[in-house]
Amino acid sequence: MTLLGKLDWSAVPLDQPIIMGTVGGMVVAIVSILSWVTLKGYVPYLWREWITSVDHKRIGVMYIVLALVMLLRGFADGIMMRTQQAVAAGGAQGYLPPEHFDQIFSAHGTIMIFFVAMPLVIGLMNFAVPLQLGVRDVAFPTMNSISFWLTASGVLLTNVSLAVGEFAKTGWFAYPPLSELQFSPGVGVDYYLWSLQLSGIGTLLSGVNFVTTILKMRAPGMSYMRMPVFCWTALASNLLIVAAFPVLTALFAMLLLDRYLGFHFFTVDAGGNAMMYVNLFWVWGHPEVYILVLPAFGIFSEVAATFSGKSLFGYRSMVLATMTICVLSYTVWLHHFFTMGASASVNAFFGITSMIIGVPTGVKVFNWLFTMYGGRVRFTVPVLWTIGFMMSFVFGGLTGVLLALPAVDWQVHNSVFLVAHFHHVIIPGVLFGCMAGYNYWFPKAFGFRLDERWGKAAFWCWFIGFHLAFMPLYVTGLMGMPRRLQHYDVLAWQPWLLVAEVGALVILTGIICQIVQIVVSIRHREQLRDTTGDPWNGRTLEWSTASPPPAWNFAVLPRVHELDAFWAHKQRVLAKQRLPVRQHAYQPIEVPKNSPVGFATAFFAVVSGFALIWHIWWMAGFGVLGAAATLLAFMFRTKDEVEIPADQVDLFDRAHPVEVSL
Amino acid sequence: MTTETHWHVAPGDLPAIPASEQNASSGFLVYTIGLLLAVILTVTSFWVANTSVIWAPGVPAGLAVLAIAQMGVHLVFFLHITTGPDSTNNVLALAFGVLIVFLVLGGSLVIMANLNENMMPHTEMMNLQIER
Ligand code: HEM
Ligand SMILES: [Cu+2]
Repeated sequence: MTLLGKLDWSAVPLDQPIIMGTVGGMVVAIVSILSWVTLKGYVPYLWREWITSVDHKRIGVMYIVLALVMLLRGFADGIMMRTQQAVAAGGAQGYLPPEHFDQIFSAHGTIMIFFVAMPLVIGLMNFAVPLQLGVRDVAFPTMNSISFWLTASGVLLTNVSLAVGEFAKTGWFAYPPLSELQFSPGVGVDYYLWSLQLSGIGTLLSGVNFVTTILKMRAPGMSYMRMPVFCWTALASNLLIVAAFPVLTALFAMLLLDRYLGFHFFTVDAGGNAMMYVNLFWVWGHPEVYILVLPAFGIFSEVAATFSGKSLFGYRSMVLATMTICVLSYTVWLHHFFTMGASASVNAFFGITSMIIGVPTGVKVFNWLFTMYGGRVRFTVPVLWTIGFMMSFVFGGLTGVLLALPAVDWQVHNSVFLVAHFHHVIIPGVLFGCMAGYNYWFPKAFGFRLDERWGKAAFWCWFIGFHLAFMPLYVTGLMGMPRRLQHYDVLAWQPWLLVAEVGALVILTGIICQIVQIVVSIRHREQLRDTTGDPWNGRTLEWSTASPPPAWNFAVLPRVHELDAFWAHKQRVLAKQRLPVRQHAYQPIEVPKNSPVGFATAFFAVVSGFALIWHIWWMAGFGVLGAAATLLAFMFRTKDEVEIPADQVDLFDRAHPVEVSL
Repeated sequence: MTTETHWHVAPGDLPAIPASEQNASSGFLVYTIGLLLAVILTVTSFWVANTSVIWAPGVPAGLAVLAIAQMGVHLVFFLHITTGPDSTNNVLALAFGVLIVFLVLGGSLVIMANLNENMMPHTEMMNLQIER
């Protein structure tokens, strides 16, 4: 046994100009950001206000920043694949060798699902749910910080794989026997497994945190049927997290045992059964798509109601549909492996359940339409994303109903028809939803709105680019093109793939518009300033406090008497034609104390993850001990809250008069 | 407002349920009883696994019964699932969990059994090979 396990200089792909160029760029970017931050003297500020923060709003913002950065990486992978497929037809081989192409599609899928979509959704929930519930934080603030930093550890390990070693070449679901040691002897699958184990634990902890928060910590008077729809969808999504993620963790643990200790859960020999992996992966995998899309549905509901100036049509049916989807999502997973040899009757059963689960989703679409119908719709950026979602998502959903027919699925399984379908639901559904939420809650988080013109430009580029990039794949899919092709001989596919390439370039323009949007908005923040705390004429409690809200969210916890509490309150004030008398009896408020535990735990987690990947056992032991010691030290803490004195609360409230206080 | 009382404790609020009632199922005694029961059930299951007093095919059934009883003990004595008013959430969460476990385990068993059945070489085909 050597001191550094399997690690040596051959792990760094010095002979690969593309990889080394990317790594060089990333290192330069990171080093220059770090030195800029240090030179400007921002480190203490960042440490105090962000890295050790246990404030749900800060953690939410950090999740979203993380996700947006990873979106750039994931998109870079996507456009690299599009470019390869645009050129590598017939005699041309393109610029990506097969073993590199394989890593790219695996990394793209893994990153987009786990490190873009998940942190976007969890970040938005972190930011908005406690505010909407009218409370001061989540149930377990420090655990929340641990969750975030564990997710960040997974992200870090995945990115390290670019420079040191390799990533999985197995696709984003790492099916055995391909992912077993026999066929993937390198460290790629280990990077995949350990990154996802770390971030998976973080996600599970978030799930526990949010379920507890929503069930146990609502503002006085907020009964279940007075909760904003976004909170309902967050509840459903987190219930799914709590039920589904342990399956994934156990599944990966079994694959790790196979790979590290010679077990035979999924191997070809010694009685292993690879089908069991496929089965359990999708036991997690199908609920996962609803974990992502339900909160997005919640955002669309909030946006549709707010900008139509009407209450949401069919609130009760919305809640019912959400909870129905929550349960039904556990009855359909076999549709991901119709072709693996189940009998016709089993396939038919899961095909039918898959079609049934479309019904509650349809209910929701009608609810949104009726919410906007007859309303005075303001066509702001969040509304554009919402309408764009409704127009595309319905079609993406319909191709899903097609795929739910086992007979059809047998024809197009593992073709790019499927790739077109899932991008068609996940981009307009999840990504557009998160973009709507990002534009909608940005003024709440930072105190100024995002620039409308660049926001609209970004939307149109994404919308048009998305259709250009993915509609052609339906066609080539029906023409028989399999997914994950590094090279193909059928020249008839090429024109379509060239169109798709153009689409990806249009999406790129959209992403650039979004970057410009941020820069322009920060520059013009004084014109875009939101002094009222309620820039959109909102309906729910988050708009009743200042933008950005203080650490304690609400000086006095709001009392809730009906749905759309803040809206109703504004109506009452308008009717009476006078502002309620401000009460000045402020009380001191306890807020949770900052803690470096999350960051430290994650640091040790990265150390042990990296060590385990490279079989550096002493270092793995060090990492595990370090993490355990950190948590132990945290448990023996004597003080976990700081008190904000009443006069400080008073002072803040007078400096930030919100339109109407509850 | 009739629903005024329908809320849970928020930070900074007074507890909705008086402390004396809250303690109903979390006292020292309760934990001790729970621990004893759990230990008894654990020890019994080791005994059942190794004994020849019981009819051999009955052993798995016996272990399953003991395991389910163990779950019950944990739920009641440690996780405080009771019929009390504050426990609606817990009971609902438990029901959800049981439903999901049932769907996942049951579904996986059906699916895997069905796959295995279909993957078996058909007897006629085996015969064909032999006859040839
Ligand atoms: C933003 C523009 C995007 C582009 C241009 C893009 C492009 C691609 C391409 C070219 C592939 C490979 C298709 C093949 O197998 O032939 C792919 C696969 C995939 N994409 Fe995307 N994608 C985008 C966004 C997303 C997003 C937002 C998600 C999820 C949140 C996502 C999830 C996936 C997954 C899971 C795979 C399958 C990976 C595998 O085969 O293992 N993509 N994408
Ligand atoms: Cu599915």
